[in-house]
Amino acid sequence: MTTTEASLPAVSEVARPAKKRPRAIGTTAWYVVALFICAVMVVPLLWMITIGLKDKTAVFDIPPRLLPHEFHWSNFIKGPQAIHFPRLFLNSVVITALSVLGGVMTAMMAGYALARLRFPGRKVWFYLFVGSMLLPGVVGLIPLFQMYKSIGWYDTWLPLIVPAFLGGNPLFIFLARQYFLAIPYSIDEAAKIDGAGHLRIFVSVMLPLTRPAWLTMAILAFQASWNDYLNPLVYLYSSGKWPLSVGMASFISPFAGKTPDWSYYMATNLLYMLPPLIIFFAAQRYFIQGLGALGSTNQK
Amino acid sequence: MSRNAGSDVKAAYLFIAPAVIGFGVFVGYPLIRSFYLALTKYNGLTDPVFVGLGNFRRLFTTDPAFWPALRATGYLVLLYVPLSLVLGLALAMFCNQRFAGVRVVRTLAYLPVVLPAVATITLWKFMLDPQVGLLNTILDRLGLPTSLWLQSPKMAMPSVVLVMLWGVGGTMIIFLAALQSVPTELYEAAKVDGAGPWSMFFRITMPMISPIMLLQVILQTTAALQTFNQPKILTNGGPGFSTNVLMLSIYNNGFPTLGRIPQLGYASAQVWVLFVIIIAVIALTAKFSSLWTYSDNN
Repeated sequence: MTTTEASLPAVSEVARPAKKRPRAIGTTAWYVVALFICAVMVVPLLWMITIGLKDKTAVFDIPPRLLPHEFHWSNFIKGPQAIHFPRLFLNSVVITALSVLGGVMTAMMAGYALARLRFPGRKVWFYLFVGSMLLPGVVGLIPLFQMYKSIGWYDTWLPLIVPAFLGGNPLFIFLARQYFLAIPYSIDEAAKIDGAGHLRIFVSVMLPLTRPAWLTMAILAFQASWNDYLNPLVYLYSSGKWPLSVGMASFISPFAGKTPDWSYYMATNLLYMLPPLIIFFAAQRYFIQGLGALGSTNQK
Repeated sequence: MSRNAGSDVKAAYLFIAPAVIGFGVFVGYPLIRSFYLALTKYNGLTDPVFVGLGNFRRLFTTDPAFWPALRATGYLVLLYVPLSLVLGLALAMFCNQRFAGVRVVRTLAYLPVVLPAVATITLWKFMLDPQVGLLNTILDRLGLPTSLWLQSPKMAMPSVVLVMLWGVGGTMIIFLAALQSVPTELYEAAKVDGAGPWSMFFRITMPMISPIMLLQVILQTTAALQTFNQPKILTNGGPGFSTNVLMLSIYNNGFPTLGRIPQLGYASAQVWVLFVIIIAVIALTAKFSSLWTYSDNN
């Protein structure tokens, strides 16, 4: 992580060749490309908002109007009502909060042990954890489904939450270990002399020092859980227990060939996107940093 | 000292215990169990019946849907992975320059990655509607040919890949980090020697980021082989079998959908075919990587 930060000023150095282009044409072409990229990313989202504000039937105008004829703000009420949004939203919040807590906590604990404590087998466990990152998730799909079913966890939230409390994400263990390795050992020596045990060192010395690491993980874990579709789809049968992802997908595939209400859907979709959007803009730095660490690990 | 080391071991196992248990339950057990299930006939209710390689024989010889599923998966990977790497790297190089507003471009390019897959895929499903979708409207206004997109057997898979490529910011951000760790002195020295942008790209940039390129090839290919959300939500495998990728086939065989009896053993056999393909891709990529990756042994 420090590598990325340290090399940030380098970006501007690399940039110099580009600045030598013939001014007028070069710069214009540059901004045309930049604008095009921005448009490709933003226009679908604006289109979504437009649809979300249109009348139910105006959605099917041919050719489509780019702007709504009249603004139907009530879509933002009626759409969510159609899928019991508050309920699904709360489901998503509980599932996500617990899996973030569990995933970050157990990965930090494992990372601490692997980086700072000497014990037989620590290399073996490290390689097993890292190796399991390459194991495709699909291999576990059917046996785990059967296992959960046989212990009565089918159609409960437990399959979505408990794995997080058991070191669910090997990438997090890897990131945590990398971060812990960078902290000077003299710090724990000092704490030990003051009579602190490992739990004490971990909680009151290490956790404050590794704030960027676990914040990054918390954000990535939030995103993974809030966005997950396959697991809740497989494990949850009752619609009252669904998180938003499954609820939203079912919104547009109603039974009996009924056309979905796209304007309701898009209004609700915006509400579904809002929490990750807000977190992204509030914590951009951590998104980039977390993956930056992944990008620079092979360079050392 | 020795007392200290002893307490270290005890503490270490306490700290690592959740992850170790998790490893056993979520990695070790399923690996063994799914291999066993692949050799059985099993509907999830009665006991599994051992059938040896029967499931595999059925897959490769009598199942009319298996080869199309393999072909669809291969087509998706061959279309998506190269495009994602080239676009991702191009975008990263663009965003690695200094110009006013570069941070905005970077942020917006990464934005689709953070949005929930279900939300963006359904949005694109509407964008790709032949009559009322925005994409055809834009193409039409520009006087360009329009398409049936997801409803055409020919265009369905390219459309699925198009939707996947909207998330190319994920590839970009990792390349961006790699580009930023290339030492600047290399470019400066090359410039003094009179190197142009192309030779700088092929002789400095590419070799220096080749380890990340390798990682990306492996990650993207294994992820693409397991694509589920896009074909499930956009087309549910259709039209015909044109987007019925292996993961969708596994899902449909293995889980009780629409009152069908799940064939867990049969689906597990498909999982193992997919697993072997993934291992083979990783092994081949790693084996031939020495040909094109540059490693710095200092």
